[in-house]
Amino acid sequence: MKVLTDWKLHLLALLVVVITELIGKHSFGIIIILPMIFAMILGGVISLPKFHILTEKNMKHASTIMTVSLMLLTARLGLDIGPNLPHIFEAKGALIFQEVGHFIGTILFGLPIAVALGMGREAIGATYSVARESNIAIIADKYGLDSPEGRGVMAMYICGTLFGAIWMSILATLIGNLNIFHPYALAMGAGVGSGSMMAAATGSITTLYPDMSEAIVAYAASANLMSSILGIYIYIFFSLPFAVKMYDVFTHLFNKKNS
Amino acid sequence: MKLLETLFLLILLSLIIVAGNVVGYHIDIIASLTAVLILVAIAATGYLIAKLPICNKLPTIFWISLVAVVVSIPQFPYSAWIIETTKNIQFVVVCTPILAYAGLAIGKDLDMFKKISWRIIPVALAVCSGTFLCATVIAQLTLDSKGII
Repeated sequence: MKVLTDWKLHLLALLVVVITELIGKHSFGIIIILPMIFAMILGGVISLPKFHILTEKNMKHASTIMTVSLMLLTARLGLDIGPNLPHIFEAKGALIFQEVGHFIGTILFGLPIAVALGMGREAIGATYSVARESNIAIIADKYGLDSPEGRGVMAMYICGTLFGAIWMSILATLIGNLNIFHPYALAMGAGVGSGSMMAAATGSITTLYPDMSEAIVAYAASANLMSSILGIYIYIFFSLPFAVKMYDVFTHLFNKKNS
Repeated sequence: MKLLETLFLLILLSLIIVAGNVVGYHIDIIASLTAVLILVAIAATGYLIAKLPICNKLPTIFWISLVAVVVSIPQFPYSAWIIETTKNIQFVVVCTPILAYAGLAIGKDLDMFKKISWRIIPVALAVCSGTFLCATVIAQLTLDSKGII
């Protein structure tokens, strides 16, 4: 019961939630910042080691609670799927095909940049997925975490934890504002397989299209569920071998150019 | 983590969610509490199913989603009441405590972050953008060709 009785942590969390919900959502130019993003920033400031407010142990407890709180989010999201089930079945083709985009997108965008910046085999670990816990386990199993691939996946994991949600929230607002994509397509895109990134992106999309919010949540939640459940198999049998192959191709290309 | 502790944590979190809902969205406290207790019940049921033999082959979030979907389809008794009641808590309200705790945990990762090369930052942003954009483009094309949008 050590996590539950960490009252200092819970009181701070309550304080952060109340303050940020009172602030409400604010727009800076075309970027809308939701209370959840303020909450992450405020929480982050409180946890800065130089303030000595929270100990290492408090912070570990905070990570543990995140997994429990994602259970409540999953329950809330599921309640929007049920009533929209006919729409989801109607869009099942799109839901299946867009998953290809989720899995191939990290490698197509990330790997060339990583190789161009001079990363070694770290690039494989860093770009084969969005680097959530299960992705670390896959790399640990195949290469070990002391390998270049292991360092890559860990670096990406930390970076994604720090900036993932905030970046996804901004990106979804920017792309949504272009008015090229239908909100349903954006919603499916938001289901990247990480609870907090998906929540931040979906929050931005529903803010842009409040009238369609229920259907947006239903599509985003369905896509996210598919990414999370299918993910582990696709990462092992497709993404990782594909990233290795693409790494060879890109290093070859860049070396040719440089010589 | 222990079963009982998870259950108590769900209740603690739901109280924080209620606080956020009352101050941020001015929803009545009793209505907020009823809504959040339904979410706790769904999460706890899914969590318990995921602990059963055979069922534990699939992740907890799968079972929680399944329970939530089943109780919200029209054929389920009281589904209309469940949906109406839980509408009092929008999903963004549930996200605020999640990211508050995520923020409070940041300090422990900062030391490791300082040790890694700056190169990971543009790469990480490209990776997140890539997965979002590629899926959005494919979804748009497929939905369009099926005439759904």
